[in-house]
Amino acid sequence: MDRSSNEREELASRAFVTLADTLVDDYDIIDLLDRLVGFCVELLPTDAAGIVLGDARRELRAVAASEEAAHMMELLQLQADEGPCLDCFQTATAVSVADLTAASDRWPSFVAAVEQRTDFRSVHALPLRLRGRAIGALNLFGEVAGLLPQRDLALGQALADVATIGILQEQAIRRGEVLGEQLQLALNSRVVIEQAKGVMAQYAGITTDAAFERLRSYVRSHDLRLSDVARRIAEKEFDLTEIIPPSTPSRRRR
Amino acid sequence: MADLGVVTKALLAIARDTSDDRVLATRICRACVEGLDVDGAAISLLTARTARQTLAATDETAELLEDLQFTLNEGACMEAARTGNPVLVADLRQSSSHVARWPMFAAAVLERSAVRAVFALPLQWGAVNLGVLDLYRRKPGALDDAQLRDAIAAADAAALMMLGLRTEPDHGGAAWLDHAVAYRAEIHQATGMVSVQLDVPAAEALARLRAHAFLHDQLLIDVAHDVVSRRLTFTEDLD
Repeated sequence: MDRSSNEREELASRAFVTLADTLVDDYDIIDLLDRLVGFCVELLPTDAAGIVLGDARRELRAVAASEEAAHMMELLQLQADEGPCLDCFQTATAVSVADLTAASDRWPSFVAAVEQRTDFRSVHALPLRLRGRAIGALNLFGEVAGLLPQRDLALGQALADVATIGILQEQAIRRGEVLGEQLQLALNSRVVIEQAKGVMAQYAGITTDAAFERLRSYVRSHDLRLSDVARRIAEKEFDLTEIIPPSTPSRRRR
Repeated sequence: MADLGVVTKALLAIARDTSDDRVLATRICRACVEGLDVDGAAISLLTARTARQTLAATDETAELLEDLQFTLNEGACMEAARTGNPVLVADLRQSSSHVARWPMFAAAVLERSAVRAVFALPLQWGAVNLGVLDLYRRKPGALDDAQLRDAIAAADAAALMMLGLRTEPDHGGAAWLDHAVAYRAEIHQATGMVSVQLDVPAAEALARLRAHAFLHDQLLIDVAHDVVSRRLTFTEDLD
């Protein structure tokens, strides 16, 4: 927050340029959302960010998180039943909580999970909004109690809007299909990525979180689509030595 | 809480003792024809490796659509299976990027049937392809928002039912995965891990996880958690 506003503006515009660049012909929606939650943490005074989307049954499912740590995905997924994201999703309006300890009556199991697993104190949920309805929510967590300043909320909402545009590609919006093919693909891609993380974790003897970090940096440095590579890994049609060089002694002997 | 479409409700009401995938596929197709504004439905299995096979078709036209695709090696359903993406064609007579990708199929359908609109929805669970649900309509036009939502939810439920049947341990029990459990990250991660431990495809890895949960009277999510935290490793002779 001590950042000069010039520097911040520059960072923000660079983020939007990067996101716009991602929106090319055949973009990977999961990759876009993954970059977007990364920008949220970089640009906003927030410690973690995640995105949940409503599926065809209008149940929320976690699709992206700034940290792949298991507790973060679980915190998002929990909100299928209760939490700021569910309220935000159902009302299509932002939900801000300055101090979660005061919200345990409102969302008992969500607040209990936050307290048990994290140091988060504040939470904001911003709607991914389309024509008055929400298709999902952007979730921001902070380790200090307090509300985000208005201009940060506005920037957060702008990032949420980019997510909406990315999911419901322009064409689908024109056709008026609220639940585009893209949304379904994004939800399933998330499952593929989790399966691929498991394959990599077992293969390399690393955690699933570390597996995702390797996967992400590999696809970015090779300019590949995250969900394509994840699919090939999950189907075991990908040579994992490309991502995880067989350098450990036990592997070299094989 | 969840706002279930009419077809999804009908699917959930299908007896859980369905033990044969053709019977299950037939019931799913019928529920779609009754609940959605479509004239016919079919479910085919067509993964890259397994043989193509139509499990169920509600009528001869639905069956013809499947046969044409298999013969011509192109079409909406094949594209849905390959990309994992729903393929929605409101009017086969209008040129679109879809029709341009499979001109022979589009021409053959128009010539040999009265079908104008086709909607192919992949049945999938992550990287596991369980088949494709094909819907057709004689009247041209897109599915509206509510219909599309209902159709996708139905495909989602159908996928879990097919998955449940395919990974069902021999001992009976609930015939399909609970929707809320089926999307827990740890279950997918454990599936990937076990598929490496046993060198088997993902669907089989899930089957082993379910069998283990059943034998030890545990919840699937707890078994998955043990696998991810490396307290449990599957070997050929486990269980």
